[in-house]
Amino acid sequence: MLDGLLTTISTLSNGLLLTLVLTFIALIIGSALAVINTVALTLENRAVYYSVKTYLTLFTGTPLLVQIFLIYYGPGQFQWLKDSSLWLLFSDPFFCAVLALSLNCAAYTTLLFYGALQSIGKGQWGACAALGMNHWQTLKVLLPYALKRALPAYSNEVVLLLKGSALASTITIMDIMGWAQRVNAQTYDTLLVFFCAGLLYLGLNLMLTLMMSLVEKRMLAFERI
Amino acid sequence: MTDFLLLLLSASTLTIGLAVTSALVGLVMAIVLALLESTPVRWISMLTRGYILIMRGLPELLIVLLVYFGSSHVLFLLTGQFVEISAFFCGVLALSSIFAVYVSQILRGALLAIPKGQWEAGLALGMGRLGIFFRLLLPQVWRHALPAMGNQWLVLLKDTALVSLIGVNDLMKQTQIIASSTWEPFTWFSCAALIYLLITLISQYGLKRMNWYVTRHERGEA
Repeated sequence: MLDGLLTTISTLSNGLLLTLVLTFIALIIGSALAVINTVALTLENRAVYYSVKTYLTLFTGTPLLVQIFLIYYGPGQFQWLKDSSLWLLFSDPFFCAVLALSLNCAAYTTLLFYGALQSIGKGQWGACAALGMNHWQTLKVLLPYALKRALPAYSNEVVLLLKGSALASTITIMDIMGWAQRVNAQTYDTLLVFFCAGLLYLGLNLMLTLMMSLVEKRMLAFERI
Repeated sequence: MTDFLLLLLSASTLTIGLAVTSALVGLVMAIVLALLESTPVRWISMLTRGYILIMRGLPELLIVLLVYFGSSHVLFLLTGQFVEISAFFCGVLALSSIFAVYVSQILRGALLAIPKGQWEAGLALGMGRLGIFFRLLLPQVWRHALPAMGNQWLVLLKDTALVSLIGVNDLMKQTQIIASSTWEPFTWFSCAALIYLLITLISQYGLKRMNWYVTRHERGEA
């Protein structure tokens, strides 16, 4: 029993690295995009504002699975795309998974960051204006503050992203979930296989949560004074 | 084209039905979980806390597959016979379990957000325990819990797409079938995305109205 457990865990661990890589790349790209979107939303430009809002509605209003399938299977419909060099990227499931996860993560993170920025007291915006700061100077002061305040909610987002990365297994990515499905199909030892996969995901989540709480402690130290 | 659209529409009703059923079952499970977690019996509340912690840490896909493949495995181990359990039932079970875990936390938070003085006020007015709970506290719980529960409903709606992977013929599954038979994946997955979006937007509008309704006393109307 214990032997089988260890063998299964070590087999599933083959996908561990891929799950982590997927999560981290999507997290970095997604967060960078989210900061850009947040800044774009503060600009007083209606066209920019509404295009970002449309992007947010599209990506937060549809299931991640649909987004992954649309990005992975969708481009095959267009011959011109297949002939172009872009096809090299879109025929690669890893690229498609990263793209879908980053865009999805960016949409949810933008909502978080923008919400945090808006919950900053009006007085602070006023203070910056009174000091004669322009829009960019004001953002330079207030944005880092807002981002730090958004950290606790951001930690949840990181866990959601890790869980969402399991969906990449539906487009042949061999992450933890991909291996779990393969081993399950080979051995039919369903309970054991999914138990081990669950253990790995819980372990990763625990690790990420601990890391994020350390970051939070350091970043939000100013609030505890 | 119109045939396929009709197919998608009928699959959408299945998706909505799946989501509504899961939400109702999940709500009952959530109330049970919230009660179990707030019992004074320590080991029960600890066990419930552990269960909630584990369910929150597992990918939804894993839970859906575990319930579907795992349930027949468990029955096989118990009875020695291979029984196939309906995918729809497994989908509802998985989705409602996921929904319940998050909603139980929302309900608990909402109950805790109501000041203790409300109990005392009820007692002072000579109301019974049940009367206080149902006529005084519960209406306020909705006010606190509704926005968060609305978000959870939207999450549930999107999670229903996962049950296509265990063979439930929902909107997502139907789209996959049409996309592969017509060789037009982009068109049809976009269609599916738009239908999901439409359901989400309509839900959001309804939730806004409901929220407006339950907070009417705070705004001094009615």
